[in-house]
Amino acid sequence: MLSVQQLRKQFTSVLAVDGVSFDVPGGSIFGLIGPNGAGKTTTIRMILRILEPDSGTVTYNGASFTKATRDILGYLPEERGLYKKSRLIDTLLYLAELRGLQRSKARVAVMTWLERLGLRDAAQRKVEELSKGNQQKVQFIGAVLHDPAILVLDEPLSGLDPVNQNIFKDILLDLKQKGKSIIFSTHQMDQAERLSDALCLINKGRVVLGGTVRDVKKRYGRNSLHVDFDGDGTILNTLAGVQNVMLYEHSAEMELMPGVTPRDVITLINPHLDLRKVELLEPSLHAIFLQTVGGLETAPKGKEGVA
Amino acid sequence: MTKILVIARWEYMEKVKSKIFLVGLLLTPLIMIGMGVLPTLFVSQEDEHSRIIGVIDPGGTIIEPFTHRMQTRYLLKNRQPNYIVLPLAVGTGINVDDAVADANRRVASDQIDGYFFFQGSGRDSLIEYRSKTVGDFALPARIEEVLKTIVAEQRVQALGLDPAVLRQIAVKMDVRSVKLSAKGEKENAGFERVFLSAYVFLMMLFLLIVTSGQMLVRSVIEEKSNRIVEVLVSSCSPTELMAGKVLGLSGLGLTQMAFWALIGVAASLQFGMQLIDPGHALLLVVYFILGYLFYAAIFIAAGSPLNTEQEAQQITSYLVLVLILPIVLALPAMKDPNATWIKILTYIPFLTPTMMAMRIPIQMPMLWEILLTIVIMLISIAGAMVAAGRIFRIGILSTGKSPKLKEIFRWIKNG
Repeated sequence: MLSVQQLRKQFTSVLAVDGVSFDVPGGSIFGLIGPNGAGKTTTIRMILRILEPDSGTVTYNGASFTKATRDILGYLPEERGLYKKSRLIDTLLYLAELRGLQRSKARVAVMTWLERLGLRDAAQRKVEELSKGNQQKVQFIGAVLHDPAILVLDEPLSGLDPVNQNIFKDILLDLKQKGKSIIFSTHQMDQAERLSDALCLINKGRVVLGGTVRDVKKRYGRNSLHVDFDGDGTILNTLAGVQNVMLYEHSAEMELMPGVTPRDVITLINPHLDLRKVELLEPSLHAIFLQTVGGLETAPKGKEGVA
Repeated sequence: MTKILVIARWEYMEKVKSKIFLVGLLLTPLIMIGMGVLPTLFVSQEDEHSRIIGVIDPGGTIIEPFTHRMQTRYLLKNRQPNYIVLPLAVGTGINVDDAVADANRRVASDQIDGYFFFQGSGRDSLIEYRSKTVGDFALPARIEEVLKTIVAEQRVQALGLDPAVLRQIAVKMDVRSVKLSAKGEKENAGFERVFLSAYVFLMMLFLLIVTSGQMLVRSVIEEKSNRIVEVLVSSCSPTELMAGKVLGLSGLGLTQMAFWALIGVAASLQFGMQLIDPGHALLLVVYFILGYLFYAAIFIAAGSPLNTEQEAQQITSYLVLVLILPIVLALPAMKDPNATWIKILTYIPFLTPTMMAMRIPIQMPMLWEILLTIVIMLISIAGAMVAAGRIFRIGILSTGKSPKLKEIFRWIKNG
């Protein structure tokens, strides 16, 4: 089990991470969510020993990482890139050897993974000749080649088409079956909701929400009304008795105010729209996220510098 | 340790396969040989065809002996005379102005290669050899020598003496500068050879440091911009990464040097000239390596906080200015290798390797100077590497705006 305890990191002018703690048991996927600049990347970097925390500990099965044991980590950084001019096989062998794998064993692992991701014939090609999606696959291979016990993935699915997203998801679930501790960060709440066993929401360097997905949702109770409809839904924005309305083309999710029943709301909607489906559910992770961090998620994506 | 080797091998193998390296490897010696050899080759190139030299000799006193001597003394490879003398206007009756105008026209229309106007043997004078090409140093010298002999003979004869007296009183005396080694032994080194070898080694050191320094900076910036650096430093420490890079690229530099040295040896065997003696070469290799490591640290320190190639190019061009200084100083240093200011410059670590590369072929510095500079370099390298390591550790993870100089100094201090 990977255990992160009270991590804290102060940069010159900002307190980037302020007492973050969570556990990731073996054989589970942990989602790290939060708006940009919340401290996700800094937390990840401290787990990986790229940055030294000011205080707090990161332990695996009770022991902290040393030079010798850090090779059980695998890492896929957020902004992707590889050595453009180098051949695929050379790049992957290099990354594997850096993780302490012997060259002969590395070769076997590289070929197995290339085969699995349909890139076997590209082994001798240069990275720059590959499509972006395929480059992302290569990077992913670089992170898992040495069979790490802990896998840290920063936005692993962004930029992938649905087919490749599925391939990656299957691989992640497979690795989970094999008992790995997997941490991934994401902005996309539906991904976090579908993939992770447990998650934590970080905002301004602090954990504002944490636990299993079910626990988190339960905390908010069944007070979220999901409706499908025909017609112009803008009327829902001005509806009495509900708040935090998320309006889509032909569906909407809204939070009932205390004391308001679904029947009250339906009565209000009926004169204006043809309802096709009405459900009272737990709020989606997306709604919880917006509620907790106050719409920050839609802020423009910026760089998370460290200096 | 093994991770350092893995990184070093990667850096070495990837760079050694790159086109830039191959081009630099092959092109640099070609340029060096071109710069060193071609001009001398062209200058000392012998004529392939006879040249026609016109003579205007109003006195009519020198035309005959001049023609005889020029045509018999200087021959082409095919035994034809190198110079054919064409009397343009000879004798007292000629109009000098017309003759000159006519001669100019002939030169212009390429009927003759050039001409000169001999005013008379009565007094010493300046003679102009007029031609379209003035780059030929040999011909005026030859005309001068022949004319001097003729005029001297005529003057001796006018005094009523036997022209053979000339040969008896002729003074043959050359003053030549001969280089003495530190032990006081004579070395057979002419100005050109010393100058050339000093220059060649300076240029090689300069090119080696600049090209590999740029490679170093470029590889750091590439890894920063594609974020591979995060993967790397999650697998090894920044210090290991830096050491691996320096080691790998040093290997690259040594490969380059060995290859060039091979070419140099081959070239010197081919042209029969010995550029430098082996003892000097060994010492130069030491300074090569020292300079290389020192600048590697400087380049890393300068490059790792940067984020774009453009910024990197700016920084490297400043470093190039520092490196090129000894090349500018080579000529004055040859005149007076013991000047105090040259010695002082030698002890500035930025300049030590190149100053030494320049000084060793000119005049071997004293043993204590060599030992002292090596110690200074070793200390500087150690200091620069530590500082560079501290900058590197933070610099490689900083993105966005490049840090200010003040901030970088804080990194070094807090490291």
